[in-house]
Amino acid sequence: MVYVAGIDIGSAFSKAVILAKNRIIAYQVVPSGGNYKLTAKQVTGKTLAKAKLSLEDIAYTIATGYGAANVSFSSETASDISCLAGGVHYLFPDARTAIDIGGQFTRVLKLDERGKATAFLLSEKCAAGSGRFLQVIARVLQVALEDIGELSLKSKNRVDFNTGCAVFAESEAVSRVAEGAAKEDILAGLHRTLAAKIQTMVARLGVEPDCAVVGGGAKDVGLVKSIEAGLDCQLLVPEEPQIVAALGAALLAEEKVSKGG
Amino acid sequence: MKSQYFAGVDIGSTMTKVVIMNEVVLASVIGPTGPEHRKLANQVMEEALTKARLAFEEITYVVATGYGRINVPFADKQITEISCHARGVAHLLPEVRTVIDVGGQDSKGIKLKDGRAVDFVMNDKCAAGTGRFLEVTAEELGVSLDDMGRLSLEAENKVEISSTCTVFAAQEVVAKLSEGAALADIIAGLHEAIAIRIYGMVRRLKIEREVALTGGGAKNIGLVKALEAKLGFPVLVPPEPLLTGAIGAALLGKDIVKEAEKKGETLVRSERRLTEASIFT
Repeated sequence: MVYVAGIDIGSAFSKAVILAKNRIIAYQVVPSGGNYKLTAKQVTGKTLAKAKLSLEDIAYTIATGYGAANVSFSSETASDISCLAGGVHYLFPDARTAIDIGGQFTRVLKLDERGKATAFLLSEKCAAGSGRFLQVIARVLQVALEDIGELSLKSKNRVDFNTGCAVFAESEAVSRVAEGAAKEDILAGLHRTLAAKIQTMVARLGVEPDCAVVGGGAKDVGLVKSIEAGLDCQLLVPEEPQIVAALGAALLAEEKVSKGG
Repeated sequence: MKSQYFAGVDIGSTMTKVVIMNEVVLASVIGPTGPEHRKLANQVMEEALTKARLAFEEITYVVATGYGRINVPFADKQITEISCHARGVAHLLPEVRTVIDVGGQDSKGIKLKDGRAVDFVMNDKCAAGTGRFLEVTAEELGVSLDDMGRLSLEAENKVEISSTCTVFAAQEVVAKLSEGAALADIIAGLHEAIAIRIYGMVRRLKIEREVALTGGGAKNIGLVKALEAKLGFPVLVPPEPLLTGAIGAALLGKDIVKEAEKKGETLVRSERRLTEASIFT
């Protein structure tokens, strides 16, 4: 059996996927923390342990993401766009648009039928379009990040935000809490603001179905529903949305190995 | 003739400023803006009246400005902060053609001609390029906001920091600290970043000398120096840069009264009562 690995060191979370014969053997997701080199070793070690393998068993390793250069044991690095495209295509072969909502950036990609990215946009300048926005507000509301999606769905009276800026939204959320607004209503407003930013990016690229949403943000059901309402289309959400780029990297590694014989 | 007194109330996002004037400023008070603007405007006005040894009935005209101006129930008129800043700066520094105002949650550029605002640019949508940028990053560094400017001047090797997003800049600050960058070098980088952002906005106006810097940002020597470096020439700072809007408001009130007297018109004035309003509109 030939094993390969894909490792995605993101700004917020690091992920590793081990593949064999085009099938996922094991994967892990860990917070990135401040030391990417150490995190790269940890996430890979945990995934290997789960697969009951050691690093020597891995024929080829491809690293991607914000901190890809810190994966000292990788065979090579690949762009996050091509890895995302490959991962999305593997999971949803009919997807032609993919939205990746990460901790630092949101990316929107167009894919062809072979799973290659033909165009993309990146929200690199501003935290308001990324998962960072959710983290900031979750902290203000003292709600765990993983709970904000479900909670927001209970909203009956959405509180809309006057600002798209994460810093100003933080103070706005504080004021709304002080005025007695319900957390779920504030969260619903927050999801609308973030969804609007993402929709603008999607619209600039032109949405083409099927449309998939991946990355940590895709685990937020409130955000996904808000984007669906805005785009007026159903979104495909993977079972484990955070590992898609790592999966794509592993698929690239497998391709390398099979080509190299 | 009975002497006339004019009050200007400037409710900013962070600070509330009141001045009482006749020919000169008789009293001024600067207090923080609370969540209930009306209540606070009330208190700051009372304080200013006490300082000026005047009763509220003696104030001829009251003009409110700033983003909280509609929350001043005792004002006779509300005027935008652009007009008030223009009038205030033109009075204090007549040679000024361009005003850069850096507030707690916004920043603006104003072009002046014959003492009036003829054009302006403003950012209140994004915290980068406003006082909030330094407030957030100072907190991340554990440095008091008041010390930021002075510390930035001690830099030997300025660190580059992103100017586009306060959240990302705050993250970068933490990363630079852990990489061992000197505090002063990081702070200088932050001032450079905010200056780039403000200069980029104001440049759209075609900057003409002289340039005045007002608002809380003008009290920050690091920002003054960083903006001067971008402009390539020195800026003028009024003696109390927080008060230009309130002074302008009082002076515009005076203009209104003089104009009405000339035409023989009677001005409508609010009741001279400093009670807080119970209903917010």
